[in-house]
Order: sequence, then structure tokens, then C-alpha cells
Amino acid sequence: MSSIPDAIVNQDAKFLTDNAKRRKRLSLWFYFLCVAIALISVVILIVLMVSIWSQGQSRLSTDLLTRAHSELEIERSGMWPAILGSLFVCGTCAVVALPLGVGTAVFLEEFQPTNKLLRWIHGFVQLNISNLAGVPSIVYGLLGLTVFVYMFNVFGQIRVNESAGMEIMGYKHFYQVLTLEPGHVVFVPQSDPTKRQTTFDEPFQAVDPDGNPIKISIWTPGTPKPSDPAIRRQTVRAGAIGGTITERNWYYFRLPFDKSFLSGGLTLALVILPIIIISSQESLRGVPSSLREASMGLGATTWQTVRDVCLPAALPGIMTGSILAMGRAIGEAAPILVVMGAAVAKSSGPKHLMDDAVTMPVLIFNWAGRQQDEFKELSAAAIIVLLVILLLLNSTAIYIRHHVQKAQS
Amino acid sequence: MSSVTPAIESEENSDALPDQTLIHIEKLNAWYGDFQAIHDLSLEIPKHKVTAFIGPSGCGKSTLLKWINRMNDVVPGARAKGRLAISGDASNDHAEINVLDPGLDVVGLRRKVGIVFQKPNPFPKSIYDNVAFGPRLHMKTSKSELDELVEWSLQKAAVWDEVKDRLHGPALGLSGGQQQRLCIARAIAVGPEVLLMDEPCSALDPSSTLAIEDLIFELRTQYTIVIVTHNMQQASRCSDKTAFFFEGKLIEAGPTEQLFTRPQQKQTDDYVRGKFG
Amino acid sequence: MPLPKALQNREFRSTRSGAFSERLIVISLALCATATVLITVGIIYMLITQSAGFFRSEAVTMSGFLTDTEWTALQSKDLAQAKFGILPLLSGTFRVTLIAMIIALPLGLITAIYLSEFASARIRSWLKPTLEIIAGVPTVVLGYFAILVISPSLQLISDGAFSTFNATGAGIAVGILCLPMVCSLSEDAMRAVPRSLREGAYGLGCTPFETSVKVVVPAALSGIISAFLLAFSRAIGETMVVALAAGTLPTMTLDPTQQAQTMTGFIVEMIKSESEYGTVQYYSLYAVAVTLFAITFLMTLGGQIIRRRFKESYQ
Repeated sequence: MSSIPDAIVNQDAKFLTDNAKRRKRLSLWFYFLCVAIALISVVILIVLMVSIWSQGQSRLSTDLLTRAHSELEIERSGMWPAILGSLFVCGTCAVVALPLGVGTAVFLEEFQPTNKLLRWIHGFVQLNISNLAGVPSIVYGLLGLTVFVYMFNVFGQIRVNESAGMEIMGYKHFYQVLTLEPGHVVFVPQSDPTKRQTTFDEPFQAVDPDGNPIKISIWTPGTPKPSDPAIRRQTVRAGAIGGTITERNWYYFRLPFDKSFLSGGLTLALVILPIIIISSQESLRGVPSSLREASMGLGATTWQTVRDVCLPAALPGIMTGSILAMGRAIGEAAPILVVMGAAVAKSSGPKHLMDDAVTMPVLIFNWAGRQQDEFKELSAAAIIVLLVILLLLNSTAIYIRHHVQKAQS
Repeated sequence: MSSVTPAIESEENSDALPDQTLIHIEKLNAWYGDFQAIHDLSLEIPKHKVTAFIGPSGCGKSTLLKWINRMNDVVPGARAKGRLAISGDASNDHAEINVLDPGLDVVGLRRKVGIVFQKPNPFPKSIYDNVAFGPRLHMKTSKSELDELVEWSLQKAAVWDEVKDRLHGPALGLSGGQQQRLCIARAIAVGPEVLLMDEPCSALDPSSTLAIEDLIFELRTQYTIVIVTHNMQQASRCSDKTAFFFEGKLIEAGPTEQLFTRPQQKQTDDYVRGKFG
Repeated sequence: MPLPKALQNREFRSTRSGAFSERLIVISLALCATATVLITVGIIYMLITQSAGFFRSEAVTMSGFLTDTEWTALQSKDLAQAKFGILPLLSGTFRVTLIAMIIALPLGLITAIYLSEFASARIRSWLKPTLEIIAGVPTVVLGYFAILVISPSLQLISDGAFSTFNATGAGIAVGILCLPMVCSLSEDAMRAVPRSLREGAYGLGCTPFETSVKVVVPAALSGIISAFLLAFSRAIGETMVVALAAGTLPTMTLDPTQQAQTMTGFIVEMIKSESEYGTVQYYSLYAVAVTLFAITFLMTLGGQIIRRRFKESYQ
């Protein structure tokens, strides 16, 4: 009954050695395949870096860093407004996404409900966040376009050259009129912002370009023209027409946000929010629960425990994750392209909250898609600048990780 | 073997003053989800004495300990029924505390009932900040008052001499035994009445264990101490009263000496003689 | 030693005000979490209301949208002549994604096997960062790489059979982009396989190859499949690479040498054209976005669910 089965007893010795040899050879081949394939990614990275460097290094100049895009002087086009624009957009993004993301992570990790229904909701929110991480960034772009740029058109349709919607603060409307002295304009405060233009027949109060109030008199054609330039500077022709000009303070605010850097930053915040939440959750999960127990045992409330124990302990991880997320935000082009448009003609950084902006990835995209070789090279040079910035960011993250690991051990 | 000996005799041997009961536990049942961890348990814990909970793992002793200051609140599915009360105290001006009352101020309860855990768990902060953590939460103190309080707590916990020169150094740089005494200092810095200790020496080496045991003996003049332990020698060395738990039930409770020399129940006898557990 | 003054005073902070501010903080944290749900609701609401503007139009029928083989939303300014059939865009997306997966899945998986089963700590310490750097390269840079290096090389090798903008170049670049993701997710899955399983296999006399391919990979299979699904969904949603390298012509073909406008590529072109807000052509981009969102959402959801199952089975 319990005699050894034939299969074990009757073994062909030659077959056994051959089989073992064959299997060992296969294993060795597989190992070499693994090494070769793992090397491919290294090769890819090297080819990428070398090709972009050789294409772009000739264009790395101070012009690139200090000047703006120019169609006329392609040679001397630069990316300074784009650097500023990226800074503003990513700054907005960080200000919104960091508190929101860390807050959500704290809520999900530290305030875990004990009740069944709430636990279900908790799981649902968690699944939802993992799903948000998988939504293509261009869909976030469309969300930003619909919600921030147009605000579902509740404030009226946006038209070209018209400040649509609700202006809330930080603006002054003026009529702009030419005086008799050529090239000299005066500004008249405008009380009714909806009126597009007005005609001047009566003397009126105005301000000169330096902001000093002056009284403007009317010269009727047919009567002798004043000859003194000082008087001519305070006189306009009867029937002169003033066009609207708007002066915006840096805190100028209106609804909808239109294609402003604010819209761009808010949209990017949506894109990186899931990343920040997930990485912060992981760092909080790494805080040993014995520390939480110790704090609770001393009579700290959950929030006090989070504030004084969990967050300080998880901070390096949260910072590393956030920096990596910001790296993603800086390089992200698709949602910015959708929200802020592909135009790159802007010659300065944003001047007020509702100002538009160019960002580095959009500039790279625009230049890369052009026919002229100069732009292609400029694009490569801009990529080098962008990669250097990303490298600095990532080194900071690595430094924090190592430095704090040492300090805590 | 000596189950015939009447229990009255041992009470004569103990201190002249009758024990004042501080914590009353009556018909307590506790569950984790569907699992019942404690069955119909009644026990009285005397004031300013050391009470030890012994029993094999999973017998419910830690669960009971953690119910005394409601540390089980954060465990999903943990609930308890029955009476668990802490006597009112005029000198600490509070009335009787009904621990299981859902509306109870848990923060205040945990200030009065401190806890020390199995593994030393100092915060990754300085030694000073560890001890000052609780006082900063609960009281408004001036800098000098806080300094005084920190020194007093560290002295009480018999660790002052070793750390006084590096108060602002990291607490994680201390040895295991020092860390555990730091945790005790941290617990007494908020002025508790009861100290719960959940196997406080199980992660320590023998000499640190002895230091902690001496400390426990010292502290009982001012605090009511409840200690959970696996180690029967430890229970017999440093406790006044011992309660033996098995499978969620209280098998026997009495003065330590009596429980170890003349247990009333066979299970207790088997356990203290090392037949199981 | 006397009791310190702070303990003699017995002036403990009242817990009432503490409880109030605690509640306030919990509520604000809960609001943060609610915001994430609102984002999903916002996406779905936006896609439905805005694409309604497209499907309500007389020029569009649902069946035409799903079966027509031409998409000329950008080319025809005249609505009567415009054709709205999603299939060419889907075919473009499919071609690019397929090529990307042919690159990313085997390379990513084998690199993951190497990292988790064979690589020494020293090799890991520079191979992992290499992959992390590739993962951190902005996609617009990879798009540029595709038109600068990949497509010209393809043309060179094939003697000009590839057009300047083609599905293969874009697909390879997207594959490079997905490779680190496949690799790190699969590696996580394989590292979660308990050591004892490997020891068991070696104990039976398995070679390293047999252990990794016949024991570890099957044990980590659901984790690997979820990695594949997530990478697939990432490739479908990838925008900048295809906008730069895949061309702007929607083509209904399986030929990888031709231009291939993808769904995401179309959305970018539509936005770049700055066509008038409110026209049917404009709203068509939301119809494309609905399709894109539905596909990626289902894949990510599937990937997440499989991943969770997998995690649970080893914890």
C-alpha cells in the first residue's frame, strides 16, 4: 500500500541531469534578459537627455532667461514671462491644494469613524480619491474651463475685448480723451461702467496721466485755439469722444475668472489634489499608533493629537510628497492649455489676479510645434531650464527625506 | 491545596485601616464587534494600592484596563455595558465619575486616569517637551511653574538625575528603561489619581524592570495603580491586590499574598503554579 | 518633595470651549474631504450638461456619433457638412495606446521582476531613481522627444514609410511614460508576496526563473493586472505627447505609420483653434471628453478594485 510510487523509483538518470541543465540555462538566460531590459530604461533616459542637450545648448543664453517670446526677433526670444507665469500659477496651486489635500488626508486617516454607515461613506470617499488620481488631466482642464473660466456662463457670455461678468473690486473705469496738445491724454472717472463711450461738450473734472486732478475746458471749433501748451493741455475739442479704459489694481477681482492665472492655478490644484492626499495619507499611516495612544492617554483630543504628534511626525513625508506633486504641477501642460489657451505672446508676468499668463510647458509646446528651427532649438533650451528647475525641486525632496530620517533615528 | 483556608484571615494581616475602594466595577460586559471580551465582571480596586491583573493572553485583562480610561473608544466596534465608576473625591473636588457614560468628558477622565503602555512610546521631541506635553494641554502655566512641574515629575519617576543635563535633547536617545520612566513622568505631570500600566516592563531588560518595579512601589503612596502583567513574580513583588482573569471572566481576586499562597480556585492554583498560560 | 505649584492650583482648562473648537476643526476637515467628492460630482455634472449642448443639436444623432467613420468637427466650419463619428478618434487612441502598451507592459513587468527578485541593493539604488526621473519628466518633454528623435529614427529605419507625425512615434513615447508606473506598481505587488512562498519554491528545487515566473508572478497577478489597467488608462488620457507627435488628422485605420488624432489630441486642437463658444463644433469636445472620461474611469475603477482585493488577500 505505502510502497514508493514508480515515478520516484524508476528515474532516468540522464534525463534528470539534462533536465536540470536545461532549466538552469533557461534561468540564466532569463536573468540576462532582465538585466538587458532593465538597462533599456537607463539608455532611454540617457538618449533623452543627450538629444535635448545637443539640440538646446546653443540657445542657452541670458536672452532666453530675461526676454519674452517674439515673432519678429525669433533669435532673441526668451521665457522670462513663462517663468513668472509658472511661478504664479504653481503658487496659486500650492496655496489651494496643500491645505485642502493635507486636511483631507488628516480627516481620512485620523478621524476614522466607528459607525457602520460613516465607515461606508469613508470607504467611498477613499475610492473616489483613488479614482480622481486616474482621471486624465485634460478632463480637469475642461472642468476648470467650465467652472472657473466661464462659471457655467451664469455671469453672461464672455466676449473678446470686453470685461464681462461681475467686477467686484480693485478696478477703476476711465474715459480716455485726447487734449489739444498732441499725444497728451486725460482720464475722466467713469460712473456707469456699462456705457462704452461718451461725448464731452461741457467743461469737466479729470486726472492727468500722473494722477493729478485737473479742470478741463472746452474749445469749440471756429473760436481761436489757445496757444499756450499748458492751457492746450487742459482743453479738449467740443464733441470729443472718450473711450473706456480700465485701471486694475493687483487685487482686481471679478467673476467669472476668465482665462486668468487664477483659473489655471485652481485647475492645477484639482489635478494634484489626489496626489497630495494619497502621499499625505501614506505618511500619516507611517506614524506609529503607539504615539497616538500616548497622546490620547494623556487626555489630548484627537485634533490635539494630530496637531502636536501626528503632523510633526509625518511632516517630512508630507513635504516630500507635496514637493513631488508640485513638480508634477510645474510640468503639467494639458489642463493649463485648455484653461488659459495656447497663446504665448504675453511679454510680462501677471499684473493682477485676473491677468492671463504663459507657463513654461505651454511655451515649450507652442515652440515645439512650430516650423522654424530656431523655435525648435529654443524649445529644447526651455526644456533644459524646466528640467533643471524640476531637478532642484526633487533634490530638495530627497534632501528632506534623508536629512529628517537621520535626525529622527 | 489550601482552598479550605478562610479568606477572613488574610484581611487581618493587611494594614490596619480598611481599604477604601476607588474604582467600582459591577457586572461589566465588553465586546469587540461580536466577540465578547469580558463577561459579567465585578471587581473593586482599592485606593492608593497597587492592583495587579494577571492571566493568560487574551483573558480580557488589558481590555478591562483600557476601559478604565476609555482608551477603547477609538477601537471600531468596541463597546461595554455595566457599571464602572470612580469614587468622588473631595480633595480633588469631583463627584463620582461614571466612566461608561457616553456623555462623559473623556478628556477630563484621561487627565485623572493616566496610562503607561507596554512599549515605551516617548514622542519624537525633547525630554522636556515630552513631560510638558500634558500640562500644556490641560493647564495655563508660567514658564517657571512648568519648569518646576517637569523637574518634579522627572524626580518622582526617578529619572531626573539621569536626564537633568540633557532636558532638551531627544527623548528617543534614552535607553528603554529610561524611556519608560520618562513615560511615567509624562503621565504623572498632569496630576492623575489613577495610573494604569499595561505590562510596563515586558519590553525592558531585567535591571530596568527592577527600577520600574521600585518606582511603582514608591508611587502607590500617592496614586492608585493598576498594573497588567504577564509576569507572576512581578505581580507578587509589587502589588497589594491581585485579580486573576481567564477567558474574559474574573476567576479570583484578593490580597496578593493570599492569591499566590492559598488560591481559592483550582484554575488560579494551576496558573500561579505555571501549569498553563 | 512638595507638590509643584501648577498641580496645587488645580486650575485645569475647561473642556467645554475645547470641545467646541474641536468640533469646528473636525467640520472644516470634513469639508475638505467633501470637496474631493464635489470634484467628481462637478466633472460628471459638467460633462452631462455641456455635452447635452452637442447631442441636442439637429446635426447630431447618437447612432451617428457611435458608428460614423468620419470626424470633421475642426475641418468643417459649416455645421451641415460636419461629420461627428467618434470612431476615427477612438481608433487613433487605440493605436497609440496599443503601441504604448506593447512597449510599457513587458518592459515594465520584466524590470519589476528584476528589481524585486534579482537586483542587488546597489543596483536598486540607481535603477529606482532612474525610473523615478523618467516618471517625473513632464509629458510635453516626451512629446518633444518623440518629434525630435523617435519619429525621425522611425523614418530613417523604414526608409520614409512613416509620415512625419505618426501613431508609432507617439505610442513609443507614451510607452516610455507608462513604463515607470507599470514597473513600480508591479514591483509593489511582487514585494507583497510573502517570502515563505519563494522559500517554498526554492526548497522544491526551482530555479530563480521558475520561482519568479511560476510562483511570484501568479501570486502577484491581480496586483500586476491592476497595474496594467492603471497604465492603460493613463495612456488613453495622455495628452501632450499625442498633441505634438501623433498628428491632427482623425484617421480610421489600423496602419501605425499614419497620423492618428486621438480623443485628447482633438480636445487640444479644438481649444487651440479658439472656435466660438456655444457652437455645436465647440460642444463636440465635451462629447469626446465624456467618452474619454467613461473609458478611463471604468479602467481606473477596475484597477483600484482589483488592487484592493489583492492588498486584502495578503494582509
